Amino acid sequence: MAQSQTEDLTLSSAWSGGASPYAMVSKKLGMWLFIVSDSLTFSALLVAYSYVRVANQDWPKPFEWASILGASIMTFCLLSSSLTMVMAVAAAQRLERKKAVVWLLATVLGGLLFILLHAREWIGLIHEGVTPFANPWGVPLFGAAFFTLTGLHMTHVTVGVLYLVVIAWGFGSARFKPEDVEVSGLYWHFVDLVWMFIFPMVYLLSAKTVA
Amino acid sequence: MQKAEAHPVKQIYLWIWVWLLTLTVVEVFLAYRHLAVMTMLVILMGLSVIKAALIMSYFMHLRYERFSLALTLIPMLIICIALLASFFPDSLRLLELRPR
Amino acid sequence: MTEAVHVEPVVHQAPQGFIRKYIFSLDHKVIGIQYYLLALFSVMVGMLLSVLMRFNLAWPGTEVPILETLFPVGAPGGIMTPEFYLSLMTMHGTIMVFFVLTTAPQSGFGNYFLPLQIGAPDMAFPTLNMLSFWITFVSLLVLLAAFVVTGGAPISGWTGYPPLSALGEIAGPGLGTGQTLWVASIALFCVASLLGALNFITTTIDLRTKGMSMMRLPLTVWAWFVTAILALLAFGVLLAAGVLLLLDRVVGTSFFIPAGLVVSDQMINHKGGSPLLWQHLFWFFGHPEVYIAILPGMGVTSQILSTFARKPIFGYRAMAYAIMAIGLVSFIVWGHHMFLSGMSPYSAMVFSLTTTAVAVPSAIKTFNWLGTLWGGRVRFTTAMLFAIGFVSLFVTGGVSGLFLNQPSVDIYLHDTYFVVAHFHMIMGVAAIFGIFAATYYWFPKMFARHLSERLGKIHFWITFVGVYSIFMPMHFLGVMGNPRRYAEFTAFEFLADVVPIHEFISIAAFVTIGAQLLFAVNFFWSIARGKIAEINPWSATTLEWTVPSPPPHDNFGGRAPVVHRGPYEYSVPGASRDFILQSEPEMKVVHQ
Repeated sequence: MAQSQTEDLTLSSAWSGGASPYAMVSKKLGMWLFIVSDSLTFSALLVAYSYVRVANQDWPKPFEWASILGASIMTFCLLSSSLTMVMAVAAAQRLERKKAVVWLLATVLGGLLFILLHAREWIGLIHEGVTPFANPWGVPLFGAAFFTLTGLHMTHVTVGVLYLVVIAWGFGSARFKPEDVEVSGLYWHFVDLVWMFIFPMVYLLSAKTVA
Repeated sequence: MQKAEAHPVKQIYLWIWVWLLTLTVVEVFLAYRHLAVMTMLVILMGLSVIKAALIMSYFMHLRYERFSLALTLIPMLIICIALLASFFPDSLRLLELRPR
Repeated sequence: MTEAVHVEPVVHQAPQGFIRKYIFSLDHKVIGIQYYLLALFSVMVGMLLSVLMRFNLAWPGTEVPILETLFPVGAPGGIMTPEFYLSLMTMHGTIMVFFVLTTAPQSGFGNYFLPLQIGAPDMAFPTLNMLSFWITFVSLLVLLAAFVVTGGAPISGWTGYPPLSALGEIAGPGLGTGQTLWVASIALFCVASLLGALNFITTTIDLRTKGMSMMRLPLTVWAWFVTAILALLAFGVLLAAGVLLLLDRVVGTSFFIPAGLVVSDQMINHKGGSPLLWQHLFWFFGHPEVYIAILPGMGVTSQILSTFARKPIFGYRAMAYAIMAIGLVSFIVWGHHMFLSGMSPYSAMVFSLTTTAVAVPSAIKTFNWLGTLWGGRVRFTTAMLFAIGFVSLFVTGGVSGLFLNQPSVDIYLHDTYFVVAHFHMIMGVAAIFGIFAATYYWFPKMFARHLSERLGKIHFWITFVGVYSIFMPMHFLGVMGNPRRYAEFTAFEFLADVVPIHEFISIAAFVTIGAQLLFAVNFFWSIARGKIAEINPWSATTLEWTVPSPPPHDNFGGRAPVVHRGPYEYSVPGASRDFILQSEPEMKVVHQ
């Protein structure tokens, strides 16, 4: 039979309500959840790319060393910008506003460099005749997959750059809190993380290894 | 607002960055070795997963958060990605079905 | 010692002015009603489409002059073309699945009552909440625009399979601009749903009031929570699929278009893609989607059955775990939509096994609902009738799934009316009954007035008998081989005998849809003139019944409730009343 329970509420566990069980502000949890869902979108796209690549025998491997070097430098830019982002968050948490803004702007710089190098590469490829629907080396899906994946990623980087500029302005003018910087950091690292998969899967696996 | 555990020292971030760059160099190097496609893919994916884990654990601070957060987020992500991978038998079959 | 991170409640002042209060509101209650009204509008559009479809199926070739006026291209001479029928079918499915079943139960009632039931002043991200609604609204407008563009609405079904959906105008009417609008609408809907999902999850985890542990959550909250997790994971994949389809259509990529297609006597200049890839991506989303449509209804049913049987829900823990199990398993069954796609039969076997497995937690829930009713002092309010109706329809719809999940049987039944019967019973009826039940139950809280019980009961009985009349015969039609997604069957000798059945179904449909007018009248009339309701008219136990009707802007007047007990403490032996509110503090209970 049902019994009325007497609960001793002084023994509250992390999950018994009244506090965040993960010991963080809701914004941060929200950003993590967004990252999970966006990861699935990218994963689905990467799986779709792999699917069509596996199903097409004559998938081209056209990236010369110059392209691979370029993409490696882009990787370096993004990884370094993640480092500066971490520094920014650390500074923000110590409420060193000016320092945090400097580190944030360094991160933005890394992101902008990435975008510039990437745009340069895109233009180069388009000149060589690679478009989303055609390429001179065979399966037109090569261009499609390339531009879709890198395009969506680049969009995320661009949004990230704008987001960080807003955060830098807001935190610098004491409108935003350290946790806002931290949340933006999560987004930025996520963008970097996606590149960790796009770089090998799109570039390295299509590197021209035979002369 | 207090953190559950201590902050990592700045040094660690620098080291992680170094490791990430090193692994990237290894990946680029490997790309130019002549390995079987499957081997290449497995190794590159493995390295990428390690890099992702490093970024998530240290840069994104997951290691220093409550373990329950990682338990909440990671398994569902891995399960879903693994499920997406189950599409591949159909793509392999498509390859075989193509006229030679 | 665990340090508590006190989650700052969202404190914003009550809004002033009509626009801030009712249009661009941050209040989860207003947003919930906005979603509900959007769903109400959508269901009326969807029902209208089905009336047109059913008319054509039963009386094909009949001239309907008004159709010619409205749709001169789709219905020249007042007679529907087959393509027009398919466009109606596509829009009917899309509108119903997305804008009715994915909005009203979750975004509508969930938004309104989740914060209330967990003791929170609002959702975790009110601005995001408002954004989610308005993106959904724009998404609906984009979709409806397909009706008025050149070529009309798309004809590829709510599932939008390529190559048909990817090739553009050349493949048929409505597949140009109409289909692009469809894809754009779906993409927008995905974004809105994702934002809503993360809002629900964060709210449930972070904003529960003191004492509201996970195992004290009402089952409605469990359902909304798990549904939100499903949405978070599934809509991301649909977004990816939608992006790829949009690129195929607009930019000329070939993700889903294979080589060698000849359409309308023209060679299609695409190659390398796979239509099967779309099916995988779509159904990876599509199956969790249908559970997103039904789980909130299950939560509401548990809530209502318990309230009106004056008994705790039978096996609360099992119910909570069953919701989680259904959510988990729903991700590994998608292949059962693809048994006939040319997929590997070994995959088919695995998917068949997993699909059978998902029936287990569903059955547990069904038995527990029955167990809740057994021995209870049942009070047959309209809400209760719809909740019991939910159980009935869920079982009926569910068991036909057991036939369909066997690949061998599905080879015969796929794309027949058997499938139409199955998913309509589950979604088009059981989930709708969940929405009705929730409406009749929570109306007094939302509008401080009662819906007319008399009208409600008439509504229930006509609808209940009506839906069985509509969808039961469809099982037999399916077994007889009557195919689905056909505008008419006059060309088939073997279907000459079933024309009367189609007529019967159509008439039943018209009557049932007509009866929904009763509901609409009841709803809007009662807002203005219904019997005034007290704060807790049903003597229910959950937190929403402790606040005024409608609740004030910050729900609990700035004083967060403290929860001391579980959600369904009805008929507790020794208690002075036959229910105990969740927030009621210690009572002396005399043990026998």
